[in-house]
Amino acid sequence: MLYALMGLGLSLITGILNIPNFAHGALFAVGAYLLVSAATAIGNFWIALLVAPLGVALLGLAIEYAGIRRLYAAGHDYQLLFTFGLALILSESIILIWGPIGYSHLPPPILRGGLDLGFTFYPKYRLFVMVMAGLLVLATWLFLEKTRYGAIMRAGIENKEMVSLLGIDIHKLFTVAFALGAYLAGIAGALTVPIRGVNPGMGVDMLGIAFVVVALGGLGNLLGAIAAGLLIGVAQALVAGYWTEASTVVIYAVMAAVLLVRPQGMFGIR
Amino acid sequence: MNRPILLLLAAVLVLPIVVRPAIATEIWIFAIFGLGLNLLLGYTGLLSFGQSTFFGSAAYVAGFLLKQYGINAFLALGIGVGVGAASAALVGYLCVQRSGLYFIMLTFALNQLFYFIAYQWTSVTGGEDGMPGVPRPALAGIDFTNPLVYYALVSVLFLASLWIMKRIVESPLGKILQAIRENPVRAEAVGYDVPRFKLLAFVIGGAFSGLAGVLYAMLFGIVPLEAIGFVFSGNVLFATLIGGSGSLYGPVIGSFVFIWLSESVSTLWARWPLLLGVAFVIVVLFLRGGVVEAWSRVGAKFGSWRSSKPKS
Amino acid sequence: MAILETQELTKAFGALTAVNGVSLGVEAGTLHSIIGPNGAGKTTLFNLLTGTFPPTSGRILLDGRDITGTPAHRVAHLGLARSYQRTSVFPAFSLLENVWVAAFATGRSWRGLAWRKTERYAEVTARARQALADVGLGGKADAPAREISHGEQRQLELAIALAAAPRVLLLDEPAAGLSPEETRKMVALVRSLKGRYTIVLIEHKMDIIMSVSDRISVMHFGSLIAEGTPAEIQKNPEVRRAYLGGVAA
Repeated sequence: MLYALMGLGLSLITGILNIPNFAHGALFAVGAYLLVSAATAIGNFWIALLVAPLGVALLGLAIEYAGIRRLYAAGHDYQLLFTFGLALILSESIILIWGPIGYSHLPPPILRGGLDLGFTFYPKYRLFVMVMAGLLVLATWLFLEKTRYGAIMRAGIENKEMVSLLGIDIHKLFTVAFALGAYLAGIAGALTVPIRGVNPGMGVDMLGIAFVVVALGGLGNLLGAIAAGLLIGVAQALVAGYWTEASTVVIYAVMAAVLLVRPQGMFGIR
Repeated sequence: MNRPILLLLAAVLVLPIVVRPAIATEIWIFAIFGLGLNLLLGYTGLLSFGQSTFFGSAAYVAGFLLKQYGINAFLALGIGVGVGAASAALVGYLCVQRSGLYFIMLTFALNQLFYFIAYQWTSVTGGEDGMPGVPRPALAGIDFTNPLVYYALVSVLFLASLWIMKRIVESPLGKILQAIRENPVRAEAVGYDVPRFKLLAFVIGGAFSGLAGVLYAMLFGIVPLEAIGFVFSGNVLFATLIGGSGSLYGPVIGSFVFIWLSESVSTLWARWPLLLGVAFVIVVLFLRGGVVEAWSRVGAKFGSWRSSKPKS
Repeated sequence: MAILETQELTKAFGALTAVNGVSLGVEAGTLHSIIGPNGAGKTTLFNLLTGTFPPTSGRILLDGRDITGTPAHRVAHLGLARSYQRTSVFPAFSLLENVWVAAFATGRSWRGLAWRKTERYAEVTARARQALADVGLGGKADAPAREISHGEQRQLELAIALAAAPRVLLLDEPAAGLSPEETRKMVALVRSLKGRYTIVLIEHKMDIIMSVSDRISVMHFGSLIAEGTPAEIQKNPEVRRAYLGGVAA
C-alpha cells in the first residue's frame, strides 16, 4: 500500500512535470524523520502525523519554486543531476541533524499490539497503515478524478500545451503537482516509522521501489501506479516469507520480467 | 597529432608529479568511465543513469577471480571489459525499447537490482563491507604494486581507450549514433535499426565502464559496494556534464574536476556528499552551459576539435 | 507492370479507419500523385508503405515482391525512400553529414563501421554530394542544417531521400510552407527527378499536381474515390464534391 502511495506521488510528478525526480526517496525519508521529531516534540503521534507530511509538502514547494521551475527547459540530464544532488543534500542533512544511527519509534498506544484475525495475529499498526494508505490513495484518486482541479492535472499529464492554451497557469499547476507528490512521499514516510523505524538510508531504498512502481504502472498512469504498487507490495511480502534476503531483489526481478514481456509496463500505452 | 592529444600526453606525464600517483590514477580511471558514458549520453542522446552497474559488476567479477584464483592481470582486464559489455548487453536489451524518462528510470532500477544482489550476496561480494584483498598481479614481469608503475599502466590504457573512442566517434557508427540522437524517426527511416544501434552503444559504453571498474578494483585493492551503487552513477554523470557532454574530451576534463572536488572535500568532512550534492545543484542552476561553454571555447582554439565534436 | 502496388490496403486505429481498402498501382518511371482533403489518409498511406506501422489488412508489393510488414528500417534498403511533410532532418549536422548518413545506410557495404574514418568513404561521400547537387544545395554542403532557410530545409529533406539511391520516391508535400518563388524551384526540381525515379507525390497545391503528374489518385475518408490522368480527374464530379470547390479549374 505504501508502495502505491509512493508510486502515485512519483507518477504524478514525472507525468505532469516530466522530470526524473530522484529526490522522491529523500522526501520520503524527510517525512519519516520529521514525524519522529514532531512526535517527540509535541508528544502526540496523531498531530505529528498531520504536521510532518505538510512539512514535506512545504519543502516540495520550496524546491519546485527555487530550483525545478528553472529547469523545465533543460534536458533530463540536468534535471536528473539536480534532483540527485538534492537527494544527496537532503540525506546528508538528515544525518547532520538527526545523527547517522537509526531510530525506532513505537506506534501510538491505541495501535499497539496485534489483532486476532482468526488465522494469524496481525500487528494493529500495520493494519492501520494499510487502511490509512488506502484512504489516502482513494482520496488522491477522487481528487484527481472528480474535482475540476484534478481534471486539469490529469489533462496536464496528457497535454501540457493544451492546458496552458486554455488559460490555466501551467506553472502553478506544476508547483501544486510537485507539492502534492511530495506530500504523498512525506506521509508515506511518516506512516512507515513505527513499522521499520528510521535510518538515513531509507530514502534510497524507497526511491528504487518508487521508480519500479512507476515504470511498471506506466508514466503518468495513476491507476497503473496504484495497481503496480499493490502488486509489488504483495510480491515482496510473499517472497519475504520464504526467502527474506531476496525480497528486495525480487521487486526488481519482477520489473525486469514484466518489461521483457511488455516494454510499456503493465498498463503503459506505447 | 592534434593539440588536445598533445595536451593530454603532457598531462599524463606531469600529473603524478603534481598529485599523488593514486589520485592521478583515479583520474584516468574515471576518465575511461566517463568516456563510456558519454558515448551514450553525448553522442547517442541516451541518459543512462546506471553505468555503475557495468563498472561494479566488472570490478566484482574480476576482483573475485583475481583474489580467489590468482588470475593474471591481462586476463583480469579482459574479463573486466567482457563483463562490462555483457552486463550492458543485458541491461541495454531491456532498456532500448523505451526512451525519455522511462529509459532513465529503467537504467536506474536495473542498477538497483544489481546493487541489491551485490548487497545480499555477502559470501561473494562481502555485502556492505565490500570485497577487500584484490591483488595487483604482475604482468610480463613488471611489478605493479609500485603506485607509479601502476599509474603508467593505467595512463597507457587511458590513452588507448581515448584513441579507440576517437576512432569510434569519427567512424560511421559515430555519425549514426548522433543521427539517432538528433532524429531517431528519420534515422530509422533512412535504414538504421535504431534499437540495435542503441544496444551497440550500450555494449561499447559498458566495455569502457568495465575496464574502468577492474582498474579501480586493482587500484584500491578493494571493491566497495558503492562501486555498483547509484551514487557512483551520479558521479560519472556529473563529471561528464561538467566537462561537457558535447565533446570527446569533455569526460576527461570532468574527471579532473570531479576527482579533485571529491578528494579535496572528502578529507575535510565526513558529510562531504552534502557538498557534492550542493556542487551538483550549483552546476545545474548556475553554471549550466557556463563551464561547458568556457571549456568549448578553450577547446575550439585547438584546431581539429571539429572532427570529433559531436554537437555544433 | 507496376513497380509499386497496394492491394486492398487497410489501416484501422480502433474505430477509425484511416486507410480503407486502397488498391493502386504505380508504373515505373512515372509520377503518380495522391490528392485528397485533409484527413483523407494520404500520409497514413505513406506510413504504411514505409513500414512505420503494419497494415490491418491488405498487401504491399514492390516489383512484384510482397513487402507487407517490412519494418521501417528495412524499407530504405528495399529501394523505397521518403521525404516528410514536416521537415525531419538532423539539425546538429551539416548538410553534407545529413545526406551522408542516409547514403551510408544503403551503401554497398558497412565494412569498417566502427573504426574507419568517415572521410575515407569516398563512394558514399560522392553519392551524398551528388544528392545535394541534385537538389541545388551543392554549394552549402558544410552549412549546419539548423541554420539554413525553410526553403532550403525542404530541399535538404528531399536530398536525404535521394541519398538512399531509391527506385521509388515518396514525397509528402515537398512544397509545404514554401513561398511562390520557392515553390517554382521545388516544382522544377521534382520535374528534373521525373524519369530517373518513380515518384509518388502528395501535394495540396493543385497547380503543381496538374503540371507534373502522369496519373492522379484521389482519396477521401480513407478510400480511393477516383483515379486517372490529370485531365480526367479535373472533370470528375466526385472529386469536385470531395473538395468542396478546392480543385483549381
